[in-house]
Amino acid sequence: MKYFREISVALALLALLVALAIVAPAFFQPQPLLSLATREAPTLIVACGMALVIICRQIDISVASQFAICSVCAGLLAAMKLPLVVVLPASICIGAILGSINGALIAGLGLPSIVVTLATMVTWREALRWQRQGEFVNLPDNVQWFGLSQFAGQWTVIAVAVVLLILLAIAMKRIAAGRFVYAVGSDAEAARLAGIPPQRVTFLTFAFMGALVGLAAMMNVVQSPQVDPKSGTGIELKTIAAVVVGGVAISGGRGNLWGAFAGLLLLACVSPALTHLHVDSYWEKAIQGMIILLAVVADGIRSKRGNA
Amino acid sequence: MSAPLLQLNTITKSFDAVRALKGVSFTLNPGEVHALLGENGAGKSTLIKVITGAHQPNSGTIEINGQLVEKLTPASAHKLGIAAIYQQPALFPDLSAAENIALGLEPTSGLRRINWAQRRAQARDLLKRVGADIDPETEVRNLSMPQQQLVEIARSLGKGARILIMDEPTASLTQKEVELLFGVICDLRRQGVGIIYISHRLEEIFAVADRVTVLRDGESVATHAIGVIDKPKLIRLMVGREVAAIYPPAQTAPGQVVLSLSKVGCTKSQVHDVTFDVRAGEVFGLAGLVGAGRTELARMLFGITPTDSGTIRLNGETIQIHSPQQAIDHGIGYVPEDRRRHGVILEMSVAANATMSVHRRIFPGAWLRFGAEQELAKKYIHDLSIKTYSPDSNVNTLSGGNQQKVALARWLATGPKVLILDEPTQGVDVGAKAEIHKLIRNLAAQGLAVIMISSDLPEIMGMSDRIGVMLGGTITAILDGKSADADAVMAAALGQTQRAGEMSAQ
Amino acid sequence: MKNFVRSNLAKHEAILLVVVIAEWFYFNSVGAHFGSLDNTFDIVRHSVEIGLLALVMTPIILTGGIDLSVGSLLGLCAILFGKLWRDAGLSPATAGICTVGIGAVAGGLNATLITWLRLPPLIVTLGTYSLFRGLAEAITRGVDTFTGFPASFLFLGQERFLGMPAQAPIFVCVAIVVWLLVHRTTFGRSFRAIGFSPDGARYAGLPVDRRIAMVYVLAGIVSALAAIIYTARLGQAKADAGTGYELYAITAVVLGGTSIFGGIGTVHGTLLGVAAIAVLSNGLVHARQPREVAGMLTGLLLILALSSSVIPKIFARLRARRQTRRHDKAPNSKIQAPEKLQSSNTD
Repeated sequence: MKYFREISVALALLALLVALAIVAPAFFQPQPLLSLATREAPTLIVACGMALVIICRQIDISVASQFAICSVCAGLLAAMKLPLVVVLPASICIGAILGSINGALIAGLGLPSIVVTLATMVTWREALRWQRQGEFVNLPDNVQWFGLSQFAGQWTVIAVAVVLLILLAIAMKRIAAGRFVYAVGSDAEAARLAGIPPQRVTFLTFAFMGALVGLAAMMNVVQSPQVDPKSGTGIELKTIAAVVVGGVAISGGRGNLWGAFAGLLLLACVSPALTHLHVDSYWEKAIQGMIILLAVVADGIRSKRGNA
Repeated sequence: MSAPLLQLNTITKSFDAVRALKGVSFTLNPGEVHALLGENGAGKSTLIKVITGAHQPNSGTIEINGQLVEKLTPASAHKLGIAAIYQQPALFPDLSAAENIALGLEPTSGLRRINWAQRRAQARDLLKRVGADIDPETEVRNLSMPQQQLVEIARSLGKGARILIMDEPTASLTQKEVELLFGVICDLRRQGVGIIYISHRLEEIFAVADRVTVLRDGESVATHAIGVIDKPKLIRLMVGREVAAIYPPAQTAPGQVVLSLSKVGCTKSQVHDVTFDVRAGEVFGLAGLVGAGRTELARMLFGITPTDSGTIRLNGETIQIHSPQQAIDHGIGYVPEDRRRHGVILEMSVAANATMSVHRRIFPGAWLRFGAEQELAKKYIHDLSIKTYSPDSNVNTLSGGNQQKVALARWLATGPKVLILDEPTQGVDVGAKAEIHKLIRNLAAQGLAVIMISSDLPEIMGMSDRIGVMLGGTITAILDGKSADADAVMAAALGQTQRAGEMSAQ
Repeated sequence: MKNFVRSNLAKHEAILLVVVIAEWFYFNSVGAHFGSLDNTFDIVRHSVEIGLLALVMTPIILTGGIDLSVGSLLGLCAILFGKLWRDAGLSPATAGICTVGIGAVAGGLNATLITWLRLPPLIVTLGTYSLFRGLAEAITRGVDTFTGFPASFLFLGQERFLGMPAQAPIFVCVAIVVWLLVHRTTFGRSFRAIGFSPDGARYAGLPVDRRIAMVYVLAGIVSALAAIIYTARLGQAKADAGTGYELYAITAVVLGGTSIFGGIGTVHGTLLGVAAIAVLSNGLVHARQPREVAGMLTGLLLILALSSSVIPKIFARLRARRQTRRHDKAPNSKIQAPEKLQSSNTD
């Protein structure tokens, strides 16, 4: 079955929701759900980028540090009373630059992405700590929720994420560049022989990932009156988990954004579900790890069967 | 007459120490099928890679449509209308057939929208043109080898290729598919497409080609129009010497049966019901086309893909082989086909490679004993006359033939009873080839049972005491090495009687 | 070629040694008390845990793998050690032995998933990275801290034995064992073979899966040992113990000349890499620089070390390309003698 993985994740999600509906109907109150969706919207944006990167047979674990840098920079710019129309593109640009650095090292020098992004992750993180010493940035009043009401702001954030998801999902299917990413991730040498430049595709994928992180950071900044310099911590694991659980093969070339979306919904529901089911929330990280392992083990068993 | 589609002038190309092309010139005219002929390792694949931009030549010039091309890259070759179909289809396994074809149709600027309805229709058309019965939505990983090849041909057609290179396109096709393909080739020729056609099957070359160029040891030996040349002459050009003379004769009569297979099979490898015996001191040749299951059989005997049916007997005892370690313990050695990936570890020294499979014997208690290692390496460097600067030189500094000898040394060190050689002289120069042949004979004379897989027909004929011919995953005929003639072996490999030679003579 | 690689590696290590010595002299001239014996012992104490992780990371990277879970496993083992001692009432020695056993099991989990299901080590250990840390947090509910260990146990991390820090002999023993394993046994030979070419190793009849399993189990065992030493040094065990240590370990290994693609590398190189990082971070503190600078420099150092292995190759390729072009543009280039070009084109 072609969409076996996507469907099974969706079924798992459905099962979780049904279980919650029976055991803890309180989960389905509109207000908490709305704030949950708002909170996870930036993660969804990053997850879209992560899906692209993993489809391209790479990985980026520096996104959390990029996220923090973009957030703080956006916060500082906003604190200088610059309008949002300037701050938003600036944040995206900063993200794109950080992503390009990864891309240049990985595509240009042919270094393994895991180690490069591990190194940039720690470099950016420590550089930010050094410069800011953990200081929060206070934002002017008109920044939170884009100066709209909270309700409208929340819906704007969610809309941005969802529209982006839909556009990207269509683009990956319909636009040649999207197919290039699949081609390079599937077999870089075959791509080269087909006239697709794998290095350029890889570089642009990382740059684009950075830009998305910049956008996501902005969508996060507008949610509170202050910018936390530690915002985004752990987002790399959460997005990688979402993408892998959603059926994007870590070996590249396979999977799609809808799967990643379903994977993220599943993971996002874990934490509130724990609260409602009266499980200690400290289990969240362990459960996240378990879900990643389960997903890859399922993949492994399936491919083992397939070969036999 | 218009300018040639493609003109190569004195192209040379070297890899490390090996010179693969030594000043090859070549022309291709519009509407021409130009066959490229040569033994394995003669430089055909390298030449193709130069034309497709995958390799940059060290010197020489390339002209396309009469214009000098400064630097040919895969992307620019693609734009100039050069397309290649390789033995191993270069498709994206994770994408569907339609998507694979569509990728060929796309402009290289990535932001254009893809009209999938149109693409799919086009893909279906193209697939129909090559006579393939494939659902365009199937993922390529789920297609069979010949199906994948047809997808690739369809993709090249879709690209509007003006220069089409076919590297052994019929190697795994059925008779019907071959005829369809020839139809497609004739169509293309009428449309003015130039086709470079590579095949080992002379019949095919006489059936479709207009001209033929013979490559030997990286040099272009001759170019002739098909009308003025016959098969024996072509073979002589390819081989460049009398076939019979160069193979060392058997020195001893075969002894007892060492390895005995009965109805051996493995579902995963699509090999079934293989039955044959190999005797001590015998060279048992395995002939057949690519994809007939020869390498798969060897991998089963070596425990990489274990057998799941039938029995294997070694010196009369039934044995199980589930892993290469077990195979070694039973005294079975395997020199694999892909030397650079499987046969040796290129980045490690000659000595380390030579002792790789005898760790337990040479290094008791797992402690490395460098003295013993050097001694063993020096012995084999001397015995097999491996040309290396020192036992500590890395294998990738050696020429192909010497690398192959290192791979052999590793197995000789295990003191095997059965040695399986998979294409032992592929990509090896003529001198080393003769040495390896002599070596194989000597090993047999020492009482080893040798199974030799080869696609090189003269080699199989000249070396084997008996020849097992494989077709469709099983042995269909076992012929006597002395009395069998090449036509009989070929006919068995094709699954046809003598009339095989006349197949698509149209 | 092997001589070439060997001499090149030796050169790499010589440069690194010079860097470490230069660092030492520099910080000695800037910072007060940097060169004192007390401070030297301090450097040793602080680098033993990362050093242990780097030691066992070396064979893993030699096989072409990676283990991101060692830092998290250190945290989990520290917690479990505390739990076994305080809540199960075991003596520190018994608890330590049990902890090492747990480390072996955790390493075995990585090994099983990687070899049995042929999953990429990267994603498996990313999963266990999350799982181990998550378990540590869940067990302690994020707040529980184990303290009040007996002095006899704290001796291991805080006192001197034979005039040197008490944990140093353990480190030296592990270093010798790993060095012998990698450089003097067939196991080390197999690790390299697998790193260069997993298929080639399989076709040579090496027990590839068992060798790969071995390095991950070893990493689990030594991570547990590092956890015990960590607990003894700080006198407490918390769920966040060893956060980010995997990065320092990988940095030390790569800095020490081990190729991230597998096959090439030495254990003494790794030891020098550990020393370079340890002296740098301690020295920066003595030079009154904020702690973050050390972390940042470590990241940059890792990128530099990685790039230094490929940049010469890229330059060589560029040079070759430029030369070819020059030849092409020269008059009569069309009938250039092949020999001539060849000699100019060797890289």
